[in-house]
Amino acid sequence: MKTSIEWLKEYSDINVDAVELGDILTMTGSKVETIEQCGNDIKNVVIGKITEIKQHPDATKLVVTKVDIGDEVVQIVTGASNIKVGDIIPLAKDGASLPGGVQIKKSKLRGIDSNGMMCAVTELGLDIEDYPDQIEEGIMILDPKYGKKIGKDVVEVLGLKEDIIDFEITPNRPDCLSIEGLGRETAVSLNKKFKDPRRNIDEMKVPDKKEIEGLTVSIEAPDLCYRYIARVVKDIKIEESPEWMKRRLKACGVRSINNIVDITNYVMLEMGQPMHAFDINSIEGKHITVRRAKKGEKITTLDEQVRQLDEEDLVIADSKKPVAIAGVMGGENSEIEDNTATIVFESATFRGGSVRKTAKKVGLRTESSSRFEKGLSAENALRAVNRAVELVEILGAGKPVEGKIDIYPTKQKINKIKIDADRINRLLGTEIPKKDMIKIFEKLGIKVEKDIAISPYFRMDLELVEDLAEEVLRFYGYDKLGTTLIKADTTIGLRTKEQKIQSNIENYLVDSGLSEIYTYGFIHEKDLKKSNISSDLNKYAITVKNPLSEDYKLMRPSTIPSMMQILSTNLNKKNQEVGLFDISRIYKNIDKKIEKGEVPLEEKVLTIGMYGDNIDFYTLKGIIENVLEVSNVNRYNVEKEKKNQSYHPGRCAKIKVGMDEIAVLGEVHPEVLNNYGIGRRAYLAEINISKIVKYAREGKKYEEVPKFPAVERDIALIVDNQVEVGEIEKIITKKGKKLLESVKLFDIYRSEKLGENKKSVAFSLKFRDKKRTLQDEEINNIMDQIITELEKSLKAELRK
Amino acid sequence: MKEEVANIKKEFLKEIKEVKTEQQLADIKVKYVGKKGKLTLVLRSMGKLSPEERPVIGSLVNEVRDEIENLVEEKKQELKREELQKRLQTEDIDVTEPSKKIKRGSLHPIKQVIKEVEEVFLGMGYEIADGPEIEKTYYVFDQLNTPIDHPARDLQDTFYITDDVILRTQTSSVQIRTMENKKPPIKIICPGAVYRSDTVDATHSPVFHQIEGLVVDKNISMADLKGTLDMFAKKCLGEKTQIRFRPHHFPYTEPSAEVDVSCFVCGGKGCRVCKQEGWIELLGCGMVHPKVLQNCGIDPKIYSGFAFGFGVERIAMAKYGIDDMRLLFENDARFLKQF
Repeated sequence: MKTSIEWLKEYSDINVDAVELGDILTMTGSKVETIEQCGNDIKNVVIGKITEIKQHPDATKLVVTKVDIGDEVVQIVTGASNIKVGDIIPLAKDGASLPGGVQIKKSKLRGIDSNGMMCAVTELGLDIEDYPDQIEEGIMILDPKYGKKIGKDVVEVLGLKEDIIDFEITPNRPDCLSIEGLGRETAVSLNKKFKDPRRNIDEMKVPDKKEIEGLTVSIEAPDLCYRYIARVVKDIKIEESPEWMKRRLKACGVRSINNIVDITNYVMLEMGQPMHAFDINSIEGKHITVRRAKKGEKITTLDEQVRQLDEEDLVIADSKKPVAIAGVMGGENSEIEDNTATIVFESATFRGGSVRKTAKKVGLRTESSSRFEKGLSAENALRAVNRAVELVEILGAGKPVEGKIDIYPTKQKINKIKIDADRINRLLGTEIPKKDMIKIFEKLGIKVEKDIAISPYFRMDLELVEDLAEEVLRFYGYDKLGTTLIKADTTIGLRTKEQKIQSNIENYLVDSGLSEIYTYGFIHEKDLKKSNISSDLNKYAITVKNPLSEDYKLMRPSTIPSMMQILSTNLNKKNQEVGLFDISRIYKNIDKKIEKGEVPLEEKVLTIGMYGDNIDFYTLKGIIENVLEVSNVNRYNVEKEKKNQSYHPGRCAKIKVGMDEIAVLGEVHPEVLNNYGIGRRAYLAEINISKIVKYAREGKKYEEVPKFPAVERDIALIVDNQVEVGEIEKIITKKGKKLLESVKLFDIYRSEKLGENKKSVAFSLKFRDKKRTLQDEEINNIMDQIITELEKSLKAELRK
Repeated sequence: MKEEVANIKKEFLKEIKEVKTEQQLADIKVKYVGKKGKLTLVLRSMGKLSPEERPVIGSLVNEVRDEIENLVEEKKQELKREELQKRLQTEDIDVTEPSKKIKRGSLHPIKQVIKEVEEVFLGMGYEIADGPEIEKTYYVFDQLNTPIDHPARDLQDTFYITDDVILRTQTSSVQIRTMENKKPPIKIICPGAVYRSDTVDATHSPVFHQIEGLVVDKNISMADLKGTLDMFAKKCLGEKTQIRFRPHHFPYTEPSAEVDVSCFVCGGKGCRVCKQEGWIELLGCGMVHPKVLQNCGIDPKIYSGFAFGFGVERIAMAKYGIDDMRLLFENDARFLKQF
């Protein structure tokens, strides 16, 4: 809310400057957004009268002038061509300052002394559009009446000094979208008396009429229109508004149109009630109906745009057509014209949410709608219309017709709140005496009767004792509030099992050289295809109804596209070796949960992405194994995975606990790499965090350190290339039974000498019994069984 | 025979002086006191001696043998010392050559801020709570005293999946879920991703992170809120940090406040980060609105509570001097490694 301090002074004495006022009001709840101080940057510019103009001897485009500035006559050289002898002009003297940091100094122009500068409109920081009689490139020629003020400061004479503060008003305080409301806040904040200059309006008695000048009104939608008041003014003279009114409107950011339109805007700024004025002749049937629009009904608004409406929108209509969109904007068909003779002032109260919806839908957020949408006081509507009529009389703009049509089906509720000082103090953590609270209430216009606070009509936000507490605190001082720590039963702050595991994983990965990334949950529809995500998963993707763009249309059912994108970015930036991880969510609409109004499944996934010269499948596998280790997941199997199309079919594995798949890892499928423009091998892993948490053992138990020696045996086998190390290990483990403590691969060797498509694999086996020393024979026996089984199942050959 | 023993000793003393290696030393030992050593032979030939002489010569030989063995042992230690000395000299290295450590990675700056905040609140007895990002309007708006036609619900601000399911615009939904499922005392913070319909630029992102806090118990006051946030600001942003409460309005708290902190970059003198104001607007907070408590089945006559919330990215950016929010989500490894 742009606020002129000059206007504000009508409501409260102000003994501080704009900056300090801004600080004080910020601390009582009206936050300053910007402060504009006009005229402060103009110094030493005075009214002057041109007494002589001569051609410059050495420059055809310059003239040498003499300007009378009261106590002296100064010589000025100028290139301006719109001046003549006798003109009254603003003159910047030697040493003057102008807006934008411009300093004026004595100088010579083509050898002739110039002791200052005549100013153009824009050089004084003024808007040329506010001075239609002036030209932009020429000197500002002042009204001859200022001839009496020669030598006087131009800022004072022209009233250029203007302090304007733009306040951020919170949505609960529509009353502060007015000078009156801010004036009241100012008075209380500065501890001054609220001057209440509109008391005469409050006391005004205007009789109710059913009909005025043939006009009648009805409300067909009392759920959307709480009150509608009309007053009529005859013998209208459409004119320009007086200077004082234009200036105040401009300070508050409203352009002057004509006296009648300006009055409606002036009242809106002053009292916070938007108003509207119609030409009575444009109302067919002389009957105003406040009703819902018909489906498809159209209206051309004042800005010459055609707006389409439906039953959700409220209109002001005559007997045939809508003449205004209620609370948003008037129609072109009922606009005040220069020949308008009789007008209707409308002052009404509409349901806030409805105005907001309509304004949003038709794309018109006006000064009016932005006030109505917050919910305005129906009581204030009457004051506003009476003030408008008063202003008509002050301006001599027409002849008010006695009486008002006032349809008021839904009376404004006045809240009564018990003042529970003890509760307020407990809520705030203060010890403010009740009488001090009451003092604050009364200053704010809240009537107090015994222990009851009666909210004034303009404070519809006051409903509960908590609301009163805020009023107390605002003027007791948010800055005076103490700082205490909670005095209550001790609570224990501990991370949950999942949070601990996640933290351990993060720390391990960072220690292993990986960096954490943060990605959006959004993906493009095409990303799923680019990453070869299976249709099984695709079908769970969730679509955003109103995405920012196609790039943010889906909520991802897989983190692969996000990770691939980041790997691609890094390669493009020529980062040669990269290891990244991300613990974030995937979203799956399984069982049509969303359609049932439920939330979909969200799973936390650890995603790892890597590439680099020293990185291969086994680097990644080692990292995953350690992730499982730091999470205390000890029993799992690694199996080959050939079906997952995002991964290289020969270089992908899944990790299972029992039958439950908890992770996938592998080299990225060459197609996917190609889709992301990655010209080298890259590696990916996806680990389901919830499953890790499920299978993580809690608590560790000490196992006795072995006392008896182990027996070690090595075996080397020749097998087909396709035979997996895991398969061999499985057989060894099975046949090694309880005595086998560990089996470890220590060599793989491929050579044609071994035979076509053969490899040699060598394992080191360790046997131990916790209770005794093992005998060679029993181990020999086990080894024989192992070898027999390997020969049988895998056609393995013992290498000798 | 005495003379012979004396000569052997003399000879030994001469020879041991020349010894340079452990092998030579071993040889000498064998030569003199081995099974067939010179001294051993003397001992064996004692049979020829008279019974009176035998013990005399016997003890003399033993004496000399002990002496020889001691000297050999001494020499052995000396050789070892010399050898070690030599080895130490040859094993000299340049300690300024590069190390072989595994390079550490890094936690994302957003995570680092979240963790720091978590630690402070864990220490004050708060739990960390979490909830869905795709959430029912019931939890994001209805229960938070945000009526059906409130501007926060606009399509312009909120991503909708359906009319009833949205991407949460704040983590307050977690507060509601907690209050509905748990009896006071409640002390939680809820960090997490939130979504608002803002186009990506240097200061906006459609996804950002929030940390909200909630306390509900008997006799919780606004001064407690201020004290808690003061503690949080000092622990997370530096012991000298000051906080400033300003009145504000939120539908889910009453009274409400906005909180500024003295600029933790310049200490309040005024700089680019605080736009020369010395203060940075940090968070919104207030006393939980009685209607919100009631909605969650908590009696506002018995219990009161406070809530607060702030954006993580803003703090991370100010703290680390990051001037463009897009850097946080671009994830360039060279950027990430700096944290």
